Amino acid sequence: MCTKNSILNIVIITIILFAANPASAHFGTIIPSDDIVTQDDSKTLNIEVKFIHPMELHDMEMVKPKQFAVIHNGQKIDLLKSLKNDRKISSDPNKKSSLWTADYKICRPGDYTFFIEPMPYWEPAEDVFIVHYTKVCVNALGLEKGWDQPVGLETEIIPLTRPYGLWTGNLFTGQVLLNGKPVSFAEIEIEYLNNSPEGIKRVIPPADPYITQVVKSDKNGVFSYAMPRSGWWGFSALNEAGWKLENEGQEKGVEIGAVYWVYTRDMK
Amino acid sequence: MKILNNLFVLTFMLLLLNGTALAHKVNLFAYAESGKIYTESYFPDGRPVEGGKVLVYDSRNKLLLQGVTDKKGLFNLKIPKIDDLNIVIKATMGHKNSFKLKKTEVEAGK
Repeated sequence: MCTKNSILNIVIITIILFAANPASAHFGTIIPSDDIVTQDDSKTLNIEVKFIHPMELHDMEMVKPKQFAVIHNGQKIDLLKSLKNDRKISSDPNKKSSLWTADYKICRPGDYTFFIEPMPYWEPAEDVFIVHYTKVCVNALGLEKGWDQPVGLETEIIPLTRPYGLWTGNLFTGQVLLNGKPVSFAEIEIEYLNNSPEGIKRVIPPADPYITQVVKSDKNGVFSYAMPRSGWWGFSALNEAGWKLENEGQEKGVEIGAVYWVYTRDMK
Repeated sequence: MKILNNLFVLTFMLLLLNGTALAHKVNLFAYAESGKIYTESYFPDGRPVEGGKVLVYDSRNKLLLQGVTDKKGLFNLKIPKIDDLNIVIKATMGHKNSFKLKKTEVEAGK
């Protein structure tokens, strides 16, 4: 029999556990409606931009990013004006500004690297601001050129594995750069987007360490991870910025993340 | 014996070269603009398909015209017909691919 006190205790413990849960990691997210555009596919991509805990599917509040653009054939195309706030398809309709979407029409062959630079996100639980520079590459019409080129962000992951056409179980290898230089022994957090692909059963992690996988780079900033399930995988290399931001009159540190998303398919 | 060894090395190298070429699929991309159809033929790494044969078919699979790609892998032609066009690229060693240019796209580019 439950008493008022015991219910209150359970509620308090649950709140504390959720607040203190160190297992889930924040991820900047850019998910395009297609990763490889072929002749027969729609040439219009729908791109979702979010700030989430991918494995647990928690959305964070996200204001309009500072930068949203695509690099194609060495040229940067500014797409910020095409970003729209779309609450209808947010996983939590009560939250404001949690999901941004844009349509982009593919006109020519080649690799399209989409990226965002979000506005700094204040995380009171960690007493830091978070800025995740996030990238994803879409290949179009058989021309595989451009995926290995840096965008020129403060920090970013450069794929050393071609980041599309990946089978489940493939090894993804990347290099972490900070101000254009490799980061020795960087920590990379990896999470599975737990609603992809549509229709398959969600993963229930048996313990917290399964939520976020962690690997470290070598002295040249190079890391690898084999992806065990089909769907979207996010790689996030975290560093502390050399600059600070102010919150309520106090200087606070800034966690800058280099995030990269890739898609895997089962061999059938 | 030395000749045999050299032959073995040569055969192995030829096999390797052949393997590399087979891994390179050819592609053709086409669009219509200002009364013309522009075609670009390329390997996945961006190298142009030079001297490739381009064949343009209408929706009834009738060959309308053909041409050869230049050093940049390009071949341009006047719009031959407002129709769904199937544009085929044939490169060396049996490499072949095609691109479907829709009637609406041809019409928009006339």
